[in-house]
Amino acid sequence: MVQAEYTIKLPTFEGPFDLLFHLIKKAELDIWSISIAEITDQYLAYLQSMKELNLEIASEFLVMAATLLRLKSKLLLPRPQSSQEQEDDEELFEINTAEELFLRLEEYRLFKEMSVYLRKREEEQQKIFLRSTGGQKVMVLTRQESVYTIWEGANHLSDIMLRFAEATKTDAYNPTFSVVEDFIVAEKSSYIEAMLIRLKRPLPMSDFIIEDGLWEVIITFISLLEMTRQGKVILLQDRLFGPILVAIREQDVHGEGKGG
Amino acid sequence: MDRELEKKTVEALLFLSEEPVKTEKLAAVLSISADEADALVRELKADLASAERGVQIFEAAGGYQMGTLPELAPYIERAFSEDVSSNLSTAALEALAIIAYKQPVTRIEIESIRGVRSEHVLENLLKRKLIRISGRKEGPGRPLLYNTTPDFLKYFGLKDLAELPSLEPGRENQLSLNIDQEKVSEEKLNETSS
Repeated sequence: MVQAEYTIKLPTFEGPFDLLFHLIKKAELDIWSISIAEITDQYLAYLQSMKELNLEIASEFLVMAATLLRLKSKLLLPRPQSSQEQEDDEELFEINTAEELFLRLEEYRLFKEMSVYLRKREEEQQKIFLRSTGGQKVMVLTRQESVYTIWEGANHLSDIMLRFAEATKTDAYNPTFSVVEDFIVAEKSSYIEAMLIRLKRPLPMSDFIIEDGLWEVIITFISLLEMTRQGKVILLQDRLFGPILVAIREQDVHGEGKGG
Repeated sequence: MDRELEKKTVEALLFLSEEPVKTEKLAAVLSISADEADALVRELKADLASAERGVQIFEAAGGYQMGTLPELAPYIERAFSEDVSSNLSTAALEALAIIAYKQPVTRIEIESIRGVRSEHVLENLLKRKLIRISGRKEGPGRPLLYNTTPDFLKYFGLKDLAELPSLEPGRENQLSLNIDQEKVSEEKLNETSS
């Protein structure tokens, strides 16, 4: 009887807990007063309707189905509670008793509610436009050319060394940083690429050094080397210790007339 | 420097800054006390509000920032349509809620609460700079730990994490307490094993 409703519009669920939670709410039940047998039947009915609609069922949903069935069977067949059956479950679903399931559901419910709260705040906040956008989009502000931090105006190696030394002083060395290096390089690379594409002209390397500190310089430099290796950009330097210009390498021939 | 000039300076700094400006910073620039700086910002905030200007001052991530009046959103969106950032997915919000309350937290811990694999979601949140990797948890596999960033606060217009509502009291509280205890004992275990 309830199934007919599903076939009209099948809501999407973030995961098995989301679906279970939805079923419980629908039955107007308290998490702590649901019957495992009943919820299992409903859950399976839902999966069945998904199957009928030829929807792909994520494995997590199936694992939960198995978990529910196991819980249900445990309740139906009383067993001596002697042996600690350590079945190698999916680590996401180490649920062995109904009580455990309720706890997990309750915990999920809390965070689900919190995510609804965050959504509300997001909506409110998105009506306010700030100057900065959290690094999300590439903001092209009229950056003054004088902001060259480390590379521009360094005429001697010693000058660069000095500036490096200064940068190290202000930047607290954080060893855990290396963990995320790959990620940051990838992020930096996409930022560099986006800037170059957007501005359609070569830019000095210093333009990509946004934050203070030695790490920022290193990451920018590594990113540029990596991008050069991948053939995405060309680095130009007209004189020793001169500013390094970064130009995007046209990969498609159709953009030949470009230039600044 | 007279007070009017100080106030104008505050306005200019807030106008130019891409990040929320802390009162300490304003105080340092103007060589006045943090309390005085705070009073200046609040005055300026009231000035802008009472003058019904399109730009207002908002508090976020422990500082002040200029932003546009919410009512203007439709027009601003029309003007900058391609630049308007998209909403976060429900999955992303779920993960963020967990990280916000349980940080530092591992991916497995997040997945175990959500009941779904969350690798992709976390990747996206990292890309959007709403979360960051804060280190590794001692223990098997030394999994990465995730924390929220100042951008997270900014994104949701929060002054600090304490502004988030507390998880519901009652039975639920007891629940999260249990979990915390579990976590503590787990950490202790790890301490002794390492």
